[in-house]
Amino acid sequence: MSEFLLEMRGIVKAFSGVKALDGIDLAVRAGECVGLCGENGAGKSTLMKVLSAVYPYGEWEGQILWDGQPLRARSIRETEAAGIVIIHQELMLVPHLSVAENIFLGNEITGPGGTLNYAAMYQRAAELMAELKMPEVNVALPVSQYGGGHQQLIEIAKALNKKARLLILDEPTSSLTKAETAILLDIILALKKKGVACVMISHKLDEIAAVCDTISVIRDGTHVATRPMGELSVDQIITLMVGREIKNLFPREEHAIGEVIFEARNVTCHDVDNPARKRVDNISFQLRKGEILGVAGLVGAGRTELAMAIFGCYPGRYEATVVLDGKSLEIRSPQAAVQAGLCLVPEDRKRHGIVPLMGVGYNITLSVPEKYSRFGVIDPPAEMLIIEQMISRMCIKTATPVLPIKGLSGGNQQKAVLAKMLLPAPRVLILDEPTRGVDVGAKYEIYKLMMELVKEGMSIIMISSELPEVLGVSDRVLVIGEGRLRGDFVNDGLSQETVMAAAIGQKEDALSTAC
Amino acid sequence: MTIFHSIQQVFSRYKILALLIAIALIWAFFTWQSDGAFLTARNFANLLRQMAITGMLASGMVFVIIAGEIDLSVGSLLGLLGGVAAVLDATYQLPVALNFAIVLGLGLVLGLFNGYWVAYLRVPSFIVGLAGMLIFRGILLAVTKGTTTPIESESFVSFGQGHLPMMLGYFIGAAVFLFLVVMTFRSRANRQRYQLAVPPLWQEGAKLLIIALIIAGFVEALNSNEGIPVPVLLMLAILGGFSFMARNTVFGRRIYAVGSNLEATRLSGVNTRLVKMALFGVMGLMCALAGLTTTARMAAGSPSAGNMGELDAIASCFIGGTSMRGGSGTVLGALIGALIMASLDNGMSMLSVESYWQMIVKGSILLLAVWIDVMSGSSER
Repeated sequence: MSEFLLEMRGIVKAFSGVKALDGIDLAVRAGECVGLCGENGAGKSTLMKVLSAVYPYGEWEGQILWDGQPLRARSIRETEAAGIVIIHQELMLVPHLSVAENIFLGNEITGPGGTLNYAAMYQRAAELMAELKMPEVNVALPVSQYGGGHQQLIEIAKALNKKARLLILDEPTSSLTKAETAILLDIILALKKKGVACVMISHKLDEIAAVCDTISVIRDGTHVATRPMGELSVDQIITLMVGREIKNLFPREEHAIGEVIFEARNVTCHDVDNPARKRVDNISFQLRKGEILGVAGLVGAGRTELAMAIFGCYPGRYEATVVLDGKSLEIRSPQAAVQAGLCLVPEDRKRHGIVPLMGVGYNITLSVPEKYSRFGVIDPPAEMLIIEQMISRMCIKTATPVLPIKGLSGGNQQKAVLAKMLLPAPRVLILDEPTRGVDVGAKYEIYKLMMELVKEGMSIIMISSELPEVLGVSDRVLVIGEGRLRGDFVNDGLSQETVMAAAIGQKEDALSTAC
Repeated sequence: MTIFHSIQQVFSRYKILALLIAIALIWAFFTWQSDGAFLTARNFANLLRQMAITGMLASGMVFVIIAGEIDLSVGSLLGLLGGVAAVLDATYQLPVALNFAIVLGLGLVLGLFNGYWVAYLRVPSFIVGLAGMLIFRGILLAVTKGTTTPIESESFVSFGQGHLPMMLGYFIGAAVFLFLVVMTFRSRANRQRYQLAVPPLWQEGAKLLIIALIIAGFVEALNSNEGIPVPVLLMLAILGGFSFMARNTVFGRRIYAVGSNLEATRLSGVNTRLVKMALFGVMGLMCALAGLTTTARMAAGSPSAGNMGELDAIASCFIGGTSMRGGSGTVLGALIGALIMASLDNGMSMLSVESYWQMIVKGSILLLAVWIDVMSGSSER
């Protein structure tokens, strides 16, 4: 028998030739909790998807040993049968079904003829609830009656019911309040005592420190270090996590920065499903003319929500005051935002950026019909002129402007969406992950464009999960963590470590270096 | 398999071509079975008149579907508006022009009312339509007291049964052609002004020649009978107007954008709710026109007018290649869909096929048409 419950050896997983995981090792003993750390996009979630057979055996290289035996699972059913259960960041509960029905979903206790044995299921569910120290939950009520914290624990109950021996928790506390988080961490500790092993992915190092025995750090798909928890200081962990090289990819150019032209005051966003929780908690900041303001933070920190609130399109309850040129604006819709001189290039290009069936050209001109129409009637040549100008300015590679945009590469789609949001000539341009899923060449062109724009006097807010990018192009960097403003740095010799430390929330004194 | 595949590709690219082939096959079949009686000028006029009402509804419905919604209330709304027109004429003896203005206005308002529920109060359009279907039919029964209301004004009746004088028919045909010629040259001049590529002259000349032949053939065929029926002319005017709206107006552009990706359109600064509400307003207007035509054709307002009209209109749109997920479709396609449905009705009636068979055949054709659409992958994203 091996001393480890789980051993992953030399895992390689490539997506169309690009290696997301490049020979990763991970080992977990029974009753041990391993914290998995790494920057955004380091490969943590991919690794867990390999382990839980979301990517079945054969789609990746390497070896997984489970209880000393090779594990070649082809589906989640097989890994769950073995006792490996993954709890995703997004909860996978059916809101209208009862707590008990959710716990037994796909695993029901049945009587003769496939009838459901509710009595037995309710009893077992209530036992699990007691075990998880929440006997107050009525297992016959729908899951939607309970808040995010309870729901997370119901997921865990569901996992325990499947006789989980290894629990994978992917950012389990990202939608929980502080109190709910404390309960969850207690339960993880209790489970450990019962011999359940655990892999916890989290950006919150204090939580990892509280429950994990071992910490594994990965970076760019490779294993960097695995140490007992006590051996590493927070600073050391951060250094292991970042350390990416800033290559000379960023065409930083001198540009004049003027007066403050834009201000966001007291932006607060409440979670859509769990309004007690604030996704953005009272953030205020200023932006100067011709400035590129980078907004850094870990995934789920509330950066996108901040941008959506400013742009008037946050789906839940929110408060925000926006001041442009000294005038306080009431922005409650994207339409009002665009008219006021604010434009947003959204993060999710496919869902929020492109109109897939429409031609590239018509996508570009969607934002400014008044420029090529009179009394609502389009002047096709005038429109075509605008389209051709934008296509050549942005170097969009397309066979013809009428080609449906869904046929273009990610980089060209992104340039078209950018073109669309530049046409209204905004004073402030918000870019949410402007280079996600974009090839290196197109990235460079986008950076170049940003430099041109600020030289012309536009101001840019750029949200990015890539630290080198944030440090490579920004004049100033805001760091957001858990919905709060954690740092406001002038980008003058700013290091990745400083930003990451502020994002994780270890250095509260980071705020003191504000400009 | 490869042949099947390439046919698939051709059809998905030129949906209209596939539809025209379908029509040719259907017509050939009925002509053969009826010993030529199907393909006469007289029956051609009948066929077009039969499809005109469904065609008007389909012309509005196609935009509703393109925007990703549906409107099930149009049959009842048609009945209600037609009934109101009959009552205004028979009981209150309003002048026809005033009567029409009131009914069109009412159609617009009721359409916008539906749209308000969908766009601003966020009730799914399926439910709003279902509710409207019952409510409008109920009001119609109340207004007409459940009986048929005959109308008296001759000019009202001629709106549904009349024909254009032959000379006027030729004149309109010529005018439409001249308009297209002028538009072609204006567009060329415009493109040159902006220094954009201009297609070769012979290509556009050939296109115009084909259009001239189609217009001449069409007018000649109808004139050899009794002239162009008024409802057919109205339907063609709607076709022209709406095709222009779809391609050349900001409103039209936004309808397609909303249907293809509502969120992206909203984030581009478009007032997507207003677009949706306006769309239902247009649908209401079409119901008014269809209702007036129905009442005029029957010379009476009937409490059962427009029953199941919504289903014919929706089927026409889908047969005509409108995407079920929104974002694509054309008025011309929807009208060709309506023509296919009308051809089936007309041909089968001519062959004295039992009416239950007619329903079965029409249902199967709908199923088949949409299946072909799904197979050709045009609704995949």
